[in-house]
Amino acid sequence: MNRILAVDDEPAILRLLGAVLGRGGYDVVPASDAAAAMAALARGGIDAIVLDLGLPDRDGLEVIAAVRASSQVPIIVVTARSDVAEKIAALDLGADDYVTKPFDGDELLARLRSALRRARPDGRSAEQLVHGPLRIDFARHVLTRDNAPVALTPREFAVMGALIEAGGRIVTHAALLEKVWGKAHVHDVDYLRVVVRALRLKLEADPAHPDLIRNEPGIGYRLTDA
Amino acid sequence: MIDRSPALRHPARSPARSYVVAALAVSLVGGLTLAFLPWLGLASCALLFQLPVLLAAVEGGLGPGLMAAVLAAFAYNFLLLPPQFSLRIHEAENIVSVVVLIVVAYVSSRLATALRLRELEASQRADASGELAELSAALNAAPPVRAIEHALAFLTARYGRALFLPQDEIESTAAAFNSLEHSAAAWSMHNGDMTGHGTQIMPEARWTFLPLAPRRPGGGPIVALGQPGGRAVRAEGQLAHLQQLCRLIGQAADRLALEQARLDRQRLEDRDRLRRALLASLGHDFRTPLTVVMGELESLDHGQSAVVRALAAARRLDRKMDDLVGVTRIEHGGLAPARDAIDLVDVVADACAAVAPDPGNIALQSHIAPDLPFVAGDAVLLRHVLVNLIDNALRHARSQVTIDAGTSGGNVWLSMSDDGPGVPPAQAAAVFERFARIEGSDRSGGSGLGLAIVKGFADAMAMEIAITDAPGGGACFTLTMPARAMDGA
Repeated sequence: MNRILAVDDEPAILRLLGAVLGRGGYDVVPASDAAAAMAALARGGIDAIVLDLGLPDRDGLEVIAAVRASSQVPIIVVTARSDVAEKIAALDLGADDYVTKPFDGDELLARLRSALRRARPDGRSAEQLVHGPLRIDFARHVLTRDNAPVALTPREFAVMGALIEAGGRIVTHAALLEKVWGKAHVHDVDYLRVVVRALRLKLEADPAHPDLIRNEPGIGYRLTDA
Repeated sequence: MIDRSPALRHPARSPARSYVVAALAVSLVGGLTLAFLPWLGLASCALLFQLPVLLAAVEGGLGPGLMAAVLAAFAYNFLLLPPQFSLRIHEAENIVSVVVLIVVAYVSSRLATALRLRELEASQRADASGELAELSAALNAAPPVRAIEHALAFLTARYGRALFLPQDEIESTAAAFNSLEHSAAAWSMHNGDMTGHGTQIMPEARWTFLPLAPRRPGGGPIVALGQPGGRAVRAEGQLAHLQQLCRLIGQAADRLALEQARLDRQRLEDRDRLRRALLASLGHDFRTPLTVVMGELESLDHGQSAVVRALAAARRLDRKMDDLVGVTRIEHGGLAPARDAIDLVDVVADACAAVAPDPGNIALQSHIAPDLPFVAGDAVLLRHVLVNLIDNALRHARSQVTIDAGTSGGNVWLSMSDDGPGVPPAQAAAVFERFARIEGSDRSGGSGLGLAIVKGFADAMAMEIAITDAPGGGACFTLTMPARAMDGA
């Protein structure tokens, strides 16, 4: 059973996180501040962290950096919706994903599943990845949907590859742009929009109502949970 | 020029007394020389006659000096020069002694007068700087807001009625001015010159106008000082002194203005702090219990319609808090919208997902062509705009809400139509005001903050929002957005 470290200074939220995570079949280790969280992490046996960024004793972003200095344990951040910059900063520092307050329990569980999948690839080879009906073969440069190959341009393939690799986790615009177009183009969101639109035309059942490639305004893209 | 103002008064020697003293001194020397002539000799006596002339010239000035010289020459001639007791002058030597006496009187009186004048000026300067120090002390002692008032009382006590005229407020402050004085006051305000009585500019005025600071763009405040009593005229020296006093008042006024500006800034900062605290509180103190409420509701049976309704209400409350934060940001200029490329398909899908769990039998349909141009805007703000438009439409619709989009010129439009009661044209602009209520329509309930945010955010992103009648009779909100010019990827 996976052990999840839940960090929040509000007892009521901590209780709620315990209930939601328990419902999802996880063991919960509660911590009400950064110091307690770091101590629990040091004791070991933690498979993922759900971290509220508003902690009394230390800035949440600092906590992410501190954790990442020694561990690749998945981190799901809990933030206020209005704070796009904070979300991007958290993701840049190495957080795996985020949910916004007031969060939906099922959404939190889905994020956690994706993040844990990333941490333990379950023997999937790096050459081939599967996401729902999609299968991508990096060596042969082929993407199939329901076993039918989809013709993609190199950039479309690269974007899709990055999203499938993330396995349902958010990938920021900047991260996608850097990976596919290079460092010089991290602000050229237009490029990304064009490619995503083309991908939707090729992959979505109804490109006007996409349910495969989802956009998070101002932040990035993610694949809908498989 | 000697000043005779009350502030610069100086003990002036009485002229009549000087003449009497001069005459007495000459008579005394005349008597003495007459008595001692045989022992002293004529030459020594002639020298002695220079003493009263010197005395009279130094003490009394040129007039008494000359009189003493004439008297002395007369006495010398009459009493001592042979033939004694006659006024006949026989020899060139005697003419010389008369001329010398007159020259002595003239030169010494000029020297003495010049000396005394300098002494007077020095003492006037001392008086003037003493008065400046006094005014400065009075200004510093007064509470800042009353400094000007104190300064005017100070001037009034010494120089006659003084009025303070803030810039461009000649009319309201002093109805006592005639048209010439108005012009003089305006000139002084705008050019930073002294004008009016006693000056070179419009001296016919009954007031002297003194600027508080050197010329400033847009004009500065001035002080008007009433004409002195009688037919007296303010002298140049006094005007220069008054100008200094006024500059001092001007500095006090500037300090006052700076202090005021500092206080204003402080108030603004306090308000800003309060706003930030409120936003932080909305983000944390309000959302924490709401998160718990929603979390607990979710763990209940979703089959119960009561749970579904409560969840929908909680989500709505969450959106209203977003609105509150948004309206504070609009009000305080805290918006710095990005101008990113946005695919309407993305934002519409996201906004629909945020609002759609609302129960009810309203159908929400969107017809967005997947090949529309991208729009330029801020994805987060645009999402909020669409959420509020959809929310508003869902609240007023009877059975359905339709989202359409298209292009027109270089713009992309998106329309949101409902089949509700519609907005009367006369109310069309009012619905975007905060907490607007729509009169004369079934479209009740008002728009609260939602549409005010739509307008505020749209304005910030250079988008336009308009209301027309929907084909089915409801309201149709159309958002017109700048298309994003694309270069190839």
